[in-house]
Amino acid sequence: MRLQAALFVAACVSPAAAIYRDEVNHIDFHHALLGAPSPDSTFFLKPSSASNASLLYTISDKSILGAVNPRDGAVLWRQNLSRAGSPAGAGILRGSDGNNAVVGAAGQYISSWTAQDGKLIWENQFLDGVVADLELLELEEAGATSGTRDTLALISGEGTGAVRRLDGASGEIKWEHKDESGDVAFQVSSSPTEVFYISLQSALLKGYKIKVTALDLVTGRQTRQYTLNSENDIPTPESVLFVGANVASPLIAWADKTHKTIKVNVIGTKQVQTINIENTSDHEIRQITIHAPHKLNSLPHFLVHYVTDNGAWADVYHVDLKSSAVSKAYQLPYIQGQSVVATSSIDANVYFTRITDSEAVIVSSASHGILGRWNVETSSEAAFSAISEVIAKGKNVAVRAAVLREAGAWELIRNGQTEWTRHEALIDAVAATWVEAEVQENLVHELEVEGHESMVGAYLHRVKRHARDLQYLPEWLKELPQRILSSILTDEVTNLDSFGVSKPVIVATKSGRVYALNTGKQGSVMWNTQVEKTSEWDVKSIVTRPGEVTVYIGDGSSVTVNVSTGEVISRSVPTDVKLQAILSLENQETIGIKEDGSLTGAFADAAAFLVTTSADGHVLGWSGRDSKSPVWEFVPPSGQKVISATSRPAHDPVASIGKVLGNRSVLYKYLNLNLALVTAVNEKDHTAGFYLLDGVSGNVLYAANQAGVDPSQPIASVMTENWFAYSFFGDVVDESSAKGYQLVVSELYESSAPNDRGPLDAAGNYSAVDSLPLPHVISQAFVIPEPISQMAVTQTRQGITTRQLLCALPESNSIVGIPRPVLDPRRPVDRDATTAEAEEGLFRYAPFLEFDGKWYLTHSRDVSGIKTVLSEPTLLESTSLIFAFGGDIFGTRATPSQAFDVLGKSFSKLQLVLTVVACAVGVTFLAPMARKKQVNLLWKAN
Amino acid sequence: MSSPLPPPPPPQWVVALNSPMPRPTKAAASIPDPPGFSSRGGKQQKQQQKQPIEKKPEDTDTLKLKKAWEIAIAPSKQIPMNAIMMYMSGNSLQIFSIMMVFMLFKGPIQGLIGTNAVFAKFETPSTRGRLMGVKAVYVLVQLGLLALGIWKVNAMGLLPTTRSDWLAWESERLPLERAYFAFR
Repeated sequence: MRLQAALFVAACVSPAAAIYRDEVNHIDFHHALLGAPSPDSTFFLKPSSASNASLLYTISDKSILGAVNPRDGAVLWRQNLSRAGSPAGAGILRGSDGNNAVVGAAGQYISSWTAQDGKLIWENQFLDGVVADLELLELEEAGATSGTRDTLALISGEGTGAVRRLDGASGEIKWEHKDESGDVAFQVSSSPTEVFYISLQSALLKGYKIKVTALDLVTGRQTRQYTLNSENDIPTPESVLFVGANVASPLIAWADKTHKTIKVNVIGTKQVQTINIENTSDHEIRQITIHAPHKLNSLPHFLVHYVTDNGAWADVYHVDLKSSAVSKAYQLPYIQGQSVVATSSIDANVYFTRITDSEAVIVSSASHGILGRWNVETSSEAAFSAISEVIAKGKNVAVRAAVLREAGAWELIRNGQTEWTRHEALIDAVAATWVEAEVQENLVHELEVEGHESMVGAYLHRVKRHARDLQYLPEWLKELPQRILSSILTDEVTNLDSFGVSKPVIVATKSGRVYALNTGKQGSVMWNTQVEKTSEWDVKSIVTRPGEVTVYIGDGSSVTVNVSTGEVISRSVPTDVKLQAILSLENQETIGIKEDGSLTGAFADAAAFLVTTSADGHVLGWSGRDSKSPVWEFVPPSGQKVISATSRPAHDPVASIGKVLGNRSVLYKYLNLNLALVTAVNEKDHTAGFYLLDGVSGNVLYAANQAGVDPSQPIASVMTENWFAYSFFGDVVDESSAKGYQLVVSELYESSAPNDRGPLDAAGNYSAVDSLPLPHVISQAFVIPEPISQMAVTQTRQGITTRQLLCALPESNSIVGIPRPVLDPRRPVDRDATTAEAEEGLFRYAPFLEFDGKWYLTHSRDVSGIKTVLSEPTLLESTSLIFAFGGDIFGTRATPSQAFDVLGKSFSKLQLVLTVVACAVGVTFLAPMARKKQVNLLWKAN
Repeated sequence: MSSPLPPPPPPQWVVALNSPMPRPTKAAASIPDPPGFSSRGGKQQKQQQKQPIEKKPEDTDTLKLKKAWEIAIAPSKQIPMNAIMMYMSGNSLQIFSIMMVFMLFKGPIQGLIGTNAVFAKFETPSTRGRLMGVKAVYVLVQLGLLALGIWKVNAMGLLPTTRSDWLAWESERLPLERAYFAFR
């Protein structure tokens, strides 16, 4: 027993339970996600004038500004521009070559960041509206510090618009032009001498007129103003196709409603030119986009891209700088399938990159000759936008293009080769679950069949199965030498894949997609399917069955998907009832829970009980006998409302039913599978109650009330085995209370006395309805440095390994695994531990619990936006899989008691083999010699 | 079949050996013995050997019993020394203390098994009854040594005497009803 205790202590207190450098990217993976990039605000940019290397900058629909390395798709830095309380607006990002800053805007905020490392230069908030447009002034003024460009910002408020010029170094306003005419502030554009403020003036009857106001670049004074009669063509602001920025001759372009003509106005002139669209295909034009270079010194050429339902073509136009006349230069032919065009410029030359289903083509804007052509792998996902960077080496050109796809993925195609793909839609992950790999599934299925047959039948089945398996023998033998070799040479001593450490994870996102991630291969995407065309997919749960997963949605429908291919196998129709949760019982039966906590249908098991929460903050208990009215209802006292409830995990094995004390007596754990921990909050008087309920009888077994709780801060709770933990922000209410984030851990025991199993004693089973003893609860509270948004507990196969309390920390963007021995509520207070207590692994209680650096499962990674942390046991008792999602995707393996059942990396198989070989060689040489000597000895003796 | 040949005459040295030596001449008899030689030595030895046989059988039994008692009591002298050693060696589980405890058990158990063998040489029909008491004392002393070993093992925590040692055989109490939780 003491030996066990000693091992136990060694296992828990050992300081080496951290992640080693060589384990990074081997046992863990991290997808640093940005969100779907905004096509207008994604560009290649050279962050430093000294180097020719460029980075990809983007701002996403989540207002996350990021710099991506075009070589491998890794995020170099990212900043979240969204602010709580600020009105949402589309994120805008601008940058220009040679400028060391990129300027981003989201909502009311404009901020400037150093392009190379993402450090804040300045930030400005405008209370009079949201930022509608941003421009960086191309020309540097004399006397301005080099590398900083002033920013033009267009602020759109309620019926007002304001153009402000912000200093590039400090963000201070240099001048502003206010427009209080009630027009819709639309865009801002600049030429080398003037700033154009484009607004949309409501016409008398319908539609908008385009009003252009020219402002002086230096003073901001209005120089002239004109209006374009466009009210028949522009019913909404979205109808304006293009407002060219920063070209020598900026453009405004719009099309008529029937897509017959395009009207172009060179900003600064009053004339509107009409271009007739020659639609030679049989299909209607669905979309027109205009691509023009954004650089000041580029040629004034632009491309109009027409997309129909099954093909696309493009026309290239030239603008005469003197007469402002627009003339058609050439046409890119109609090609079936999807097609996207990107613009890039080198010095004055403008290049258009067209990427279609089968090829990527580069043309110069000056002539229709094809400069480069590459074959492109066909992607199933439709591309909607692309950006490119062209490098010319003599006659040859090379291109790399980032293609934004509708799946929220973007990929980099370099000379026709897909270099990397980023699946940004994963940022919206709402539910995930582990599935068995296919091979395992088959075996499980076969074993199930065997389990249901008679003894002889099962035996025959098994013999047949093994006979069938023999066909793989030659293959297996062929692979054997390679396997042995690789196992000796590879870094990892044992390939753990067969121990269930590389299970695939199925992730469902809010955008209606289902992904399968391979946790064994750095979380790479195995397949992804657009299951539903929606932006608000209300996924309630994912249930796995052999070979398939079923996603249950809040409207009562469900989709079943094949695990290995992602194909949709079946769908069920939605019902008109909105569900808040879906429960999947063991017999594959599912029950929907309505918003008010009632059930959609009866469940068959009469001995089973069902516990739900209702929208009005009560907890309801239902019996299998009567699914119409609840058996019991828990209404939290004193005006509190239930905000969350947790129960023990479905897989929660208990290795030992008691806790052995230092004097080798036993404190028996209070183990009840039917426990629920309910968190209720009164938002008015700032109290929170944590209630331990029995799910069968509805009895309150334990209640803890906390005063001074801030309900707006995250309150997390978790329960497992015989203990539960919760955290909240507590304020000072009396002299003894602490202010700060608190973590409370409570353990449940049968009795306060050791060697006592409570009133039920050694009874084999009990009924909660008849008699349910109350637990003896021991609690301890800790002050923790930061809030915890989500809690979970590591799961292992048999529960022998010590558990870790997994906490998602939103403020430091990390996940911490607090070892359970640290959170033992029996730690002695105000005195050192006695020898007996030290044997148990207890040490002196300290009210402040600082998170040890070694506890961070995310180590140096910046894992942001985590909403859910999942844990899954593997076949190795020491190892638990962890998967976190909600913002970034993070997965790792946790070994709370170290990897005691796996050979360490220091174990050298080669050395072992060599030793055995050396011994064998030695024996073969020495054996004859020794024999000879012995025989000789016999002769000499006689 | 011819009759066997008569045996050859014995050699001269055999004849000389078998026939007694002729009496020494007078002159030879007058030669004094070398210093330290006693012509009667052999006779005296024979006399001495005969002496114990002459003793009474009761005396030998007493002597045997006395010897047996000594053997029976001998292990008890180890008890204090062993106790001190055991006390000193500590209760931790180390190879040294484990080996000492092993030896502590091995001695008495071997002694107990060989009880009869130890006293076999003192056993005569007349002493058998009285030897029973001696053996009993011997067994008691060995048991005392064993008790010391058990005390030591207990002190080391190797005896399943506490509740925690039987915890693995106790099973979890199972509820008759099962509740399912459908929280959002």
